[in-house]
Amino acid sequence: MKMKRIASMLMAGIMTLSLAACGGTGADTGSGTGTGTSTGTTTTGTTETGTTETGTTETGTTETGTADGEQITLKMWCIATESDSNRHSYEEAIKEMETKHPEVKLEWEAFENQSYKTKIKAAVAADEMPDIFFTWSCAFLGDFVEAGKVYCLDDVYANYKDELPEVMMGNSTYDGKHYGVPLTMNIVGLFANMDLLKEAGYDEIPGSYEDFIACCDALKGKGIIPFGCAGKETWCVTEYLESVIEKSAGADTLNDIFLGRASWNNQDVADAVDTFQELVKNEYFDPAGIGLTNDEVKANFMQGKYAFYMNGTWNCADFAADAEFSKKVKVGEFPVINADKSKLGQLIGGPSDTLAVAASSPNAAKAADYCMELGKYICHYGYLDGCGLPAWTPYGDTSTVNELTQTVAQIVAGADTMVLFGDTAQNADDANTYLSYVDQVYGSQIDGKGFIAGLAADIR
Amino acid sequence: MAEVKAVRPRRKGPDLKKALNIFLFLLPAILLFVGILVAPIAVSLYRSLQKWNGFSPGTFIGLKNYKELFTSGSIKWNTALKNSLLLAFFSVFVQLPFALLLALLLGRKYKGERFFLSVFFMPVLISTVVIGQLWLKIYNPDYGLLNTFLDLVHLSSWKHVWVGEVETALGSIIVPTIWQYVGYHMLLMYAGVKGVSPDLREAAMLDGATNWQVDRYVVIPIIKPIICTSVIFAVTGSLKTYDLVRILTEGGPFQSTEVPSTLLENMLFLRNRYGMGSAISVMLIILCFAFALVISAVFKNRDE
Amino acid sequence: MEVYFTSKKPKPVVKVLVYILLIVWAFINLFPIYFMFTFALKSNEEIFGMNIIGLPKEWLWSNFAAAMKTGNMGLYFFNSVLVTVASIAISIMAAMMATYAITRIKWKGASFTNAFFMLGLTIPLQASIVPVYVVLSKLHWLNHYTTLIIPYSAFTLSMSILICTGFMVEIPYDLDEAARIDGCGLWGTFFRIIVPLLKPALSTIGIYAFLQCWNEFMFANVFISDSAHRTLPVGIKALSGQHTTDWGPIGAALVIATFPTLIVYIFLSRKIQDSFIAGAVKG
Repeated sequence: MKMKRIASMLMAGIMTLSLAACGGTGADTGSGTGTGTSTGTTTTGTTETGTTETGTTETGTTETGTADGEQITLKMWCIATESDSNRHSYEEAIKEMETKHPEVKLEWEAFENQSYKTKIKAAVAADEMPDIFFTWSCAFLGDFVEAGKVYCLDDVYANYKDELPEVMMGNSTYDGKHYGVPLTMNIVGLFANMDLLKEAGYDEIPGSYEDFIACCDALKGKGIIPFGCAGKETWCVTEYLESVIEKSAGADTLNDIFLGRASWNNQDVADAVDTFQELVKNEYFDPAGIGLTNDEVKANFMQGKYAFYMNGTWNCADFAADAEFSKKVKVGEFPVINADKSKLGQLIGGPSDTLAVAASSPNAAKAADYCMELGKYICHYGYLDGCGLPAWTPYGDTSTVNELTQTVAQIVAGADTMVLFGDTAQNADDANTYLSYVDQVYGSQIDGKGFIAGLAADIR
Repeated sequence: MAEVKAVRPRRKGPDLKKALNIFLFLLPAILLFVGILVAPIAVSLYRSLQKWNGFSPGTFIGLKNYKELFTSGSIKWNTALKNSLLLAFFSVFVQLPFALLLALLLGRKYKGERFFLSVFFMPVLISTVVIGQLWLKIYNPDYGLLNTFLDLVHLSSWKHVWVGEVETALGSIIVPTIWQYVGYHMLLMYAGVKGVSPDLREAAMLDGATNWQVDRYVVIPIIKPIICTSVIFAVTGSLKTYDLVRILTEGGPFQSTEVPSTLLENMLFLRNRYGMGSAISVMLIILCFAFALVISAVFKNRDE
Repeated sequence: MEVYFTSKKPKPVVKVLVYILLIVWAFINLFPIYFMFTFALKSNEEIFGMNIIGLPKEWLWSNFAAAMKTGNMGLYFFNSVLVTVASIAISIMAAMMATYAITRIKWKGASFTNAFFMLGLTIPLQASIVPVYVVLSKLHWLNHYTTLIIPYSAFTLSMSILICTGFMVEIPYDLDEAARIDGCGLWGTFFRIIVPLLKPALSTIGIYAFLQCWNEFMFANVFISDSAHRTLPVGIKALSGQHTTDWGPIGAALVIATFPTLIVYIFLSRKIQDSFIAGAVKG
């Protein structure tokens, strides 16, 4: 019962959200967002009632794929390596697909995140793509779409409209056409080790920024490091920085900048960056974190080395799976810094993990159908595992979803605006320019002024 | 008639046949060399003048890539260049002299010469990726050998996040690089030292020269060409460094340890900027050639 | 050679100092290897706790099983060997033929051709990675062993020719003349006279080429996307990404990657060094 409530809350929340859509270029972008939101509102009614029954409708669509029995082989690349928290959901989903579609043989391979980016781009450049590939939405996929290398999913999507809200497709929609199958959706969460917070005299994650800072000072006083952040992987720094910018300058400001509608030359952003840098200068961050990878920082957090860890909510799965640690950890939202410009419910995140089909695939149409259904199952099992919130309408028994993910669902249900991760929202070149400057901010080599000036100059 | 005609074909026939044979002998090497090295570099040169993302057709933009390379605040070419030159400096002025010292000492027939040679050469044989992983374990801030050792000898204040601090990161790359290849250069130079005729040495000793003097005035001048080669290898090798940086620091912290090769890779695969990547390739080639020429010229000048 | 040692012995103090230096440096070279071997057999508790540099208290051979099973180190090792050996073979053959044409046949462009090949000594291989990748993939030539073998042969070619030249000029030219008189053509001379005499060069070229191919990481990382054809360096990088918290299996994988080479080296070190030295002298 409780789950059903959360699931419908979650869906209702998403429907009212303005999710940043990034399709097209320039003028198109504006209209893209418009359509995304309006479609969202129209579907609200159907989804709210539909949530409970999707379990039964699901079997109907499955049949469509199995029309003719000709044996084909599909290749898939993804990043669900052995150590990835999504691994299990991929394995389960593929197992299910194998029994449902014995005529399709799926050869899949997983690569480590960073080298995968290299690999898939090189493969796209050379027309050596696998039939189905994992991609990040918005700019990452957009480059491939623009080059005409991705198969359009509009035809197939028609069969799945009831199970996959169109608003969730927004980040992989370009010029009104759908190119990606979203899997899970994630936001940046503020994870807290409550045992450590208790030592500093706090029973809850502080709600206001002043309290939050006071809490950090108290933690420091007790010899506890407030934040863990992997300096070796800059995207981990952006998880902190983007939240600070959003909660000081406002979600719309940040979103417009990411989508190229506004210049980086914005004093509010500069001030926010200075605020963030103050956190660094006050030694709230673990100095050793600079030389660590995210895996290492995460392990440290789980061993009780840091009080807070800001990172994607995909971590819920791993935190919940650790019997000891799951009792200590809580997740919350970063407090508002400037109430004039921002408010609670402005979040960083959105559907980013996506599967897409190569236009060059000899079996593209079949691969598209297969990819849709596979995406649904990966999303389903991923949600059950706590790897993130579902982009697809949840079905079946979801009562086993861990508490952390449930809390995240509540946060998302109350969301106001979501701004997609900066490195996903911007095109590859701009994203890396951005990451480079974020790095320089974290290293205190430049301040807020230098940050906006540099970005405004380098991003054309 | 027979005479006149006989001369001509004999001249022309073998010439043609010889040319064909030469061509055939060279063919495999030329195919490999041109196909994998020369032609791709020509393509790089051409692409470096384009704005090209790797999939769509490129647009010609002249020297803009090169201009951006030197002026951009986020590409960090100048840092990368500085880092590889610094590495080259340490290679030439720390690694090579030390390798030379070892080579000269071992050339004097100490007991265990073979054992020492074998041991010193060992790191060269180990994959750089393995060496990188190993040194990561040594540098680990919490459990690493280095910090643990400093604790042990009560120098805890010297402890660092070795690969994570701007002040120490580059050094953390330079040390294993130098360490690994001391053996390589030592063996090259040792070969030269052993090639010096024992008679020469003996004669100098009879004249009352000490071992050091023999080394300084007899051995080193003779092995100069080998030293020159070593210097060229060390410098161009430094410009090409890639593996250890990728494994130890990934170019960080704050991009302070980027080198040209890691930038090149970032341009291609993270930023989709094949044109800019090609520009970096071209810069690398130019630098390598320029240094090779300058170094040979310096050594030649000294000879005269 | 014995003479000068008897005539002038180094001072004992100097000798002691030299030995101290040599032994310390030997220790610095051996210690990381020892460290690798021992931490491969320890549990995290031992590695992180009190027993950091000692021998393992509990010999955890299971680390090796883990590295072999999840890390696939056996396959990667085989791939590395195959790619390296094939590259060396191709490089040697191409180099011998080219060197023959350059050094033993008299023609105008010989020295120019030689200089042309020597350019390869300084060219950074990264410079050609993009175009080569695009071409190989257009030919649908990615993910084969040859995808690495061909570029590796090309990259080692310059060095091979350089060394080959050193060896070939030492073969007396009279032999060619004699062969010619016996009725051998250029090819006959090459295969019957020159190639057999170049046997000592093989190990030298082989060692230099081995050093270049065995450790190569960038091309292997980019050109090979399926795990079936991965070479050791890429395999190790992939493995270490997966077990960041468990040091034992990483250590085990490093040992697996290194051990066979070291064993071969220990048994053949004299031969290997002599060949290397021959390369330095002749090159």
